[in-house]
Amino acid sequence: MSVYMQGIVALMGVNILMALSVYAMITTDQVSLGNAGFMAIGAYASAYLTVKVGMPILPALLSGAFLSFIIGIGVGIPALRLEGLYLVMATFGFGEVVRTFFLNFEPTGGAYGFRGPMGTTLLLIYGWVFSMVLLFWLLSHSRMGRSLDAVRDDPEVASSIGLNVTLLKLGTFGLGAFIAGAAGGLYAHYMFYIESNNFNILVSSMAILYVILGGMYTFWGAILGAVIFSILPELLRFMADWRLSFYGAILVVMIILRPYGIITRPMVKWVENWIGGLFTRTGP
Amino acid sequence: MFLQQLINGLTLGSTYSLLAIGFTLVLGLLQMLNIAHGDVFMIGAFLGLTFSLLGMPLYLALILAMIGAGLLAVIIERLCFRPLRKAHFLMPLLSTIAFGILLQNVATQMWGSEPSRYPQTMEIAQFHLGSVQISSIDIIILVVSLGFMIGIDLFVRKTRFGRAMRATSEKPQTASILGVDVNMVIIVTFFASGALAGIAGVLTALVYLQITPFIGIRQGLIGMVAMVIGGVGSLRGAMIGGLMIGIIEIMNDAYFTASYRDIILFGLFFVFIVFKPEGLFGAKER
Amino acid sequence: MLEIKNISKSFGGLMALRDISLDVAERQIYGLIGPNGAGKTTLFNLITGYYPATEGAIRFFGQEITGLRAHKIARLGIARTFQNIRLFGTMTVKENIQVAQNIHARSGVSSLFQMYSARERRLRQEADELMNRLGLWEKRDEQSPSLSYGEQRRLEIARALALKPKLLLLDEPAAGMNEAESADLLERIRELRETGITVLLIEHDMKVVMGICDRIAVLSFGELITQGTPEEIQANDAVIDAYLGREDD
Repeated sequence: MSVYMQGIVALMGVNILMALSVYAMITTDQVSLGNAGFMAIGAYASAYLTVKVGMPILPALLSGAFLSFIIGIGVGIPALRLEGLYLVMATFGFGEVVRTFFLNFEPTGGAYGFRGPMGTTLLLIYGWVFSMVLLFWLLSHSRMGRSLDAVRDDPEVASSIGLNVTLLKLGTFGLGAFIAGAAGGLYAHYMFYIESNNFNILVSSMAILYVILGGMYTFWGAILGAVIFSILPELLRFMADWRLSFYGAILVVMIILRPYGIITRPMVKWVENWIGGLFTRTGP
Repeated sequence: MFLQQLINGLTLGSTYSLLAIGFTLVLGLLQMLNIAHGDVFMIGAFLGLTFSLLGMPLYLALILAMIGAGLLAVIIERLCFRPLRKAHFLMPLLSTIAFGILLQNVATQMWGSEPSRYPQTMEIAQFHLGSVQISSIDIIILVVSLGFMIGIDLFVRKTRFGRAMRATSEKPQTASILGVDVNMVIIVTFFASGALAGIAGVLTALVYLQITPFIGIRQGLIGMVAMVIGGVGSLRGAMIGGLMIGIIEIMNDAYFTASYRDIILFGLFFVFIVFKPEGLFGAKER
Repeated sequence: MLEIKNISKSFGGLMALRDISLDVAERQIYGLIGPNGAGKTTLFNLITGYYPATEGAIRFFGQEITGLRAHKIARLGIARTFQNIRLFGTMTVKENIQVAQNIHARSGVSSLFQMYSARERRLRQEADELMNRLGLWEKRDEQSPSLSYGEQRRLEIARALALKPKLLLLDEPAAGMNEAESADLLERIRELRETGITVLLIEHDMKVVMGICDRIAVLSFGELITQGTPEEIQANDAVIDAYLGREDD
């Protein structure tokens, strides 16, 4: 594989993880426009650990993701009070706070950026992707997955059947932060250099876009969205300078044409049945 | 010194107010955010630049930029909001983000990504009032933006059309039954929001003298912050929120450190949304 | 089993319920009637912990449940249905029931790695029985929004029963049903008592209430006018004035 192709495939993996991080939160109807903030936390923390502390990459990635998880819980608790557009705005505010924090935080380079993290391989990225896909696949076929669906459909009724809505919402928010943190760590150690602007609002927006356009009711949608929108800009290279205009226009058109996403849950069920119970588990 | 900073803050804040009003008009009406609002501001600034370079006097450039930005907002309504009025609230949010990318790219192609210098089309006079120094630019900005703020406030409160706007934002179904042309109200609202952003763009460019296709990003976000702090859906809240943000920003730069400015602003924004989502002047939710 | 002691609830100064006291005994079918806006659903919401009472206490089998969070109260054995049917719209009939069994199953993170267990088999059987009992078996794999109105009402009851509650709160279960459907529903509610479930029932249709309830409480404008057996209620002048006299509203 050429270096150019490797780059595309690697970033696609990071994008898939970012999409899954948004998807994790959306499973309980929490839309975050601040996941670039969690990505930044994972990126800077793990980079600091490998470059300045000399930690091996895997524990550093896990530590970064874990720190992001802790902060995610911290943000998730006040976020429980919010829904819809207000949660979107609050998480956006959080993301901007994180970005400007790293823009000024000297120990990780401040405005000069942070140089030196390295060691991400395609295998490592797709190991993470595979683990997360497995996690979401198990989840979608488990009783816990049904509980999450219930919380998304109607949180009040969910609590009336004994489900701890607070815990489920907080858990999925934390999981989303964890995955974004891991994505950030992988990204940092792939790029060798990070700066705060790598984690701006556009990154958060794109992560939501992958999920919405791919189909927000199943994690396959999130993955497909990330794949399509990681490849699309490359296919548009022939447009040269007008590439971004065209990209924006395609997005607008797709949103208008397919406001409920590409993959729907009945589609997944149909495919799974078609495959003939090979992958359907015995659980509900 | 303090008084000087206060005036600087008010001048800067009044442009934020104009942006915040645009956000609040659209959010109040459709419960949706127009993320491309900051880019309408940017296009407004570039239109002002272009007309000024053609040798037009400031007032004419301002009016034309205002009309252009207003029409752009109407196009955004047509493309990014109307087809999605019944969709999930995220869809128009995302379509306007995509449209914002498009506008930034178009602006880069037309005017280049390097900062464009704003031409000086008038003499700048400095006035001294005791220890306070105020330039004619400051005065123009304050007068123009305060004038438009009072204008839009009167328009919404006193005119027939303004009443239709308020009725539509409170109860859209009822309003349409009562014979209000809801689509017309939405179009006019978008035009007004875009026009105000266009004015803000030109006025801001007069201060900074340099503009790039990316100035809209932060300005738009700050406008959103001002709207939330003032109180979502409240016109006067948006005005005061904008002025407050301007003052906080200038005071922070003068007495504290400029690098932590945005942490303070966005932190304040987060705290407001979580603990006081109705803002300073908004109606409390049921 | 359920003791409501001097409960009051106000919303921003507006008294929705004033000093209500009720005693529901085990295996009773207890009717709650009163004109619209009398506070019946508010009382349900207080019992199930949707919002806290302003004053007073609610006990369930002697245990104080006022102030407990809704899911805890559900886990103690109080299930409910809603006046305006609220099913999980993205789920099938079967899934709606299965998710309500989660409090009796391993449903935490460990459920991700759960293989077929004896408990799972039993729960499946119970879900199948419930669907049979409420006449939903044929529709088990259909998405819940595609059901007919009567079927949706029955599914909501089935979902509540999947919690294996000791007390079932039914909020106008017969609303919008035709005569035959509502007669069928009454029969099923009576059967519930045989299985040891206590029922607290909000109902507008007087025929339904009088025919099925052991005891009835009458609410009007947030106050408890009277309570007693159906015969006593029918003979009570205050009730006739407050409610029966304008049954048509």
